[in-house]
Amino acid sequence: MAAEKAEMDALKKECDGLRAQIEAARKAVNDSSMSGAAGGVASVGRVQLKLRKTLKGHLAKIYAMHWSADSRQMVSASQDGKLLIWDTFTGNKLVAVPLKSAWVMSVAFAPSGNLVASGGLDNMCTVYNIKAASPKTLRELDAHTGYLSCCRFLSDSEILTASGDTTCCLWDLETGKQKIIFTNHIGDCMSLALSGDMNTFISGACDSLAKLWDLREGTCKQTFSGHTSDINAISFFPSGNAVITGSDDCSCKMYDLRSDQEVIGYQDTSLNAGVTSLALSNSGRLIFAGYDDFNCHIWDSLKGEKVGVLSGHDNRVSCTGVPEDGMGVCTGSWDSFLKLWN
Amino acid sequence: MMSGRTCSSGHVVQAQKLVDQLRVEAGMERIKISLTAADLVRFCQDHRRSDPLLTGISASSNPFKDKKTCRLL
Repeated sequence: MAAEKAEMDALKKECDGLRAQIEAARKAVNDSSMSGAAGGVASVGRVQLKLRKTLKGHLAKIYAMHWSADSRQMVSASQDGKLLIWDTFTGNKLVAVPLKSAWVMSVAFAPSGNLVASGGLDNMCTVYNIKAASPKTLRELDAHTGYLSCCRFLSDSEILTASGDTTCCLWDLETGKQKIIFTNHIGDCMSLALSGDMNTFISGACDSLAKLWDLREGTCKQTFSGHTSDINAISFFPSGNAVITGSDDCSCKMYDLRSDQEVIGYQDTSLNAGVTSLALSNSGRLIFAGYDDFNCHIWDSLKGEKVGVLSGHDNRVSCTGVPEDGMGVCTGSWDSFLKLWN
Repeated sequence: MMSGRTCSSGHVVQAQKLVDQLRVEAGMERIKISLTAADLVRFCQDHRRSDPLLTGISASSNPFKDKKTCRLL
């Protein structure tokens, strides 16, 4: 017993030493701030986007949405037990996918446009072929021991999932088996985002940490702290060098990957609602963040100022997305509607 | 009944994993914020003209705007 205690004490000492080393290294590069760097940048002024369409069709709370790579189709998931695929140019519903489990929390469109995936309290990620005459279940990925909070396709043959069991997982869709399990979070994983080159991904969890992972090695490369509550939303800045997070602590933060720390925060004393979702405009200048206060607030990512708001939902905004061509923003809400703005 | 020994070595394994992870994270080369923040600013500026939500979208090229039909009276 004494030997074990001595070993634990030595490891704890090493742990404390390494943490101090990391903090010192971060401090050593903290020679400026985003407000310093953005001082000379012109303000974006007031960003006033108009509501262009309200998509009606779901009969219960919408929990997730995802744009297709074609910037025209979009898939939404509701606890009415359906996925709906929309043509956002016309507002028409193209496909309805009935779900085995109505408790859906996440939905994703494959880059090819051939597949969609969803999952939630059933702990599974189900992949559907939507190009078949009627939607066909391709795979049921069943290995997580907690709810599915987020999923993203790398291709028609690989998908990444995040779970309430605190892990993320890379799956092979040809075999339906897990390829790599990413363990390091100590709280439910709530959100993930893939890097443009698909070599890394980021995750946000209920342990209030964001983590950067090497997709092929399966290792956690960096950990970002600062939030004081669950991180519900996470996204890469378009250059791939920074990460934006949204949290139940009512703030968003931008972490630079190369400086390994927070460079700017987005919070307002008048905003007392948790952040549920977020998306960036194509240049990275605007952050669209969905909140529990029924609004999507718009932030200037460089100056840290609130520059606009998308108001119109009658309940929590649960999901937000900007298509690849950057031509608009889609918000989805517990009020059962999706809205398109630009 | 698990022996006390087995229980505590589980703690040691966990602590070792934490140390190993911190070693990976400590080993990273960090770049000064003065440089990285400037890069983020530069990226926004370089791409602002191709950001439709910043530049605005004309009615004729707006894919989401409901097109009203014209009727010749």
